Amino acid sequence: MTEVTIFVDGVAVVAEAGRPLGALMHRLGPAMRRTREGAPRGLFCGMGVCFDCLVTVDGVADRRACMTPIRDGMRIETSLASGNPS
Amino acid sequence: MRRVETDILVVGGGPAGLSAAIAAAGAGARVDLVDAGAAPGGQYWMQDPVAGATSQQAAEGSTAIASARAAGVAIHSGAEVWAAFPGGEIMANDAEGPITFQARSIVVASGAQDRVYPFPGWTLPGVMTPGAGQRLAKLGKTAPGRRIALAGNGPFLYAVAATLASIDATPALLVESGRARAAMLGLLARHPARIAEAVSLIAAARAVPDWRRGHVVTEALGEERVEAVRIAPIDERGTVDTARSERIDGIDALLVGWGFRPMIELTALLRCRHAYDRALGGWYCVASPSTGLTSVEGVYAAGEVTGIAGSRPARLSGTLAGLSAAAALGFESAGMEERRKGLVRALASARAFGHALGRLAPPPDGIADLARDDTIVCRCEEVTRGEIVAALAEGTRAVAGAKMWTRAGMGRCQGRICGSAVAEIAAAETGTSPAAAGFNPPRIPLRPVPLDVILEATRGSAP
Repeated sequence: MTEVTIFVDGVAVVAEAGRPLGALMHRLGPAMRRTREGAPRGLFCGMGVCFDCLVTVDGVADRRACMTPIRDGMRIETSLASGNPS
Repeated sequence: MRRVETDILVVGGGPAGLSAAIAAAGAGARVDLVDAGAAPGGQYWMQDPVAGATSQQAAEGSTAIASARAAGVAIHSGAEVWAAFPGGEIMANDAEGPITFQARSIVVASGAQDRVYPFPGWTLPGVMTPGAGQRLAKLGKTAPGRRIALAGNGPFLYAVAATLASIDATPALLVESGRARAAMLGLLARHPARIAEAVSLIAAARAVPDWRRGHVVTEALGEERVEAVRIAPIDERGTVDTARSERIDGIDALLVGWGFRPMIELTALLRCRHAYDRALGGWYCVASPSTGLTSVEGVYAAGEVTGIAGSRPARLSGTLAGLSAAAALGFESAGMEERRKGLVRALASARAFGHALGRLAPPPDGIADLARDDTIVCRCEEVTRGEIVAALAEGTRAVAGAKMWTRAGMGRCQGRICGSAVAEIAAAETGTSPAAAGFNPPRIPLRPVPLDVILEATRGSAP
């Protein structure tokens, strides 16, 4: 098991490399984004189908947290913090 | 750009896809397998990304993955198919960008996803599918919550209860619409080989302290996340009796699902013939029971995309499709015909069990009516039931019409989540059937991809 540090909205979080980012975000959440209408959303299908768990990963917008394996040093930004709906 | 020419391209790395790949490669064909997951295995043979195989089921999967590799199958993990064209050209995208496959034959083993229906509060964080809870536990070693409610119908709920128990997260509440105990015993009596499995699953359900049969969750309550659920019994006529509803507080995760829905996007894009049976998950791809061939030459289908039946039929139909696809390309070996005959017989029996199970645990009639006028049905475009009903009143009877009027099904998921519900709402509102209401035809790109990937794939070079 490899423990790494990633940054979620600027906050350092220790996580296990290789596990889905969506699981970590759910633990921190469960909300991980806001919609155009301002509603909170979190993990729903967990398998890349529903697009409810969208976050920005290393500057790339609209990545599905559930399909993204955790890597050392990853920087995650959510629309909960930015206020820009995703 | 990466371009791969192959004899047989298998799409999907679950039990059906791996079985197809092993069989076809064993017959001598060159086989490539493309799979969206970070590791092959699919949902049933899910591999722990850190610890490796941690259960007998996962160990079966890792054996199958090793067999596929040993047979020479080239496995492309983390690659999602986003386009397909007649003639065997399939475009996928992974972390490195586009890969285009040119295959002589294709075996589609795209699997299934949880079937869901909208209800008030279902978009709240903490509300998810049972499959999502399963993946959280298996891939993330994370409990969905501290006090979990598990709800819906079908034997998969019991499997999820068992998985959650394995990480010390036994659900607090199990809400199951079915009560068909006698029918279930009758089915098991006809398939005694499945009794041991059923007994272990029922034990997992019994470990849940509050198990409500004949009930459904009618509402999730909370502001920023789920905090409580409302449940109601189903009366003798099969109607949800909201007058006798009950609120259960202190729930921080709600997992609701109504079995599975075949993932037909790729077979639909390839214009294979499909049929509708609610007990088999709704729309499924029609494949020959003796070869796995679809209505399109050179396109085979195996596993759950051909109708929900479970992992055993998935493996058998995968092997059958792999052998048949290889044989059609001239890769025949001694004894293959006998082997295929045996597979066809075993598959018929395994499917009969799976289909009977599906008929015992259908979603209750009118389940899509739990959504109220202001309940969001299309999660992507935030379209409410009231808006869809208004569109239906204005003249359309079809899922495609509701999409054009309201954008329901036009978002990132292309209606994969709301499609079953929109069809059932359309059927109820306009006096047609869900089958006649149709489904959202898939569009390229099947999954959102960056524009530079599309440019590189279609022009053959990076912009």
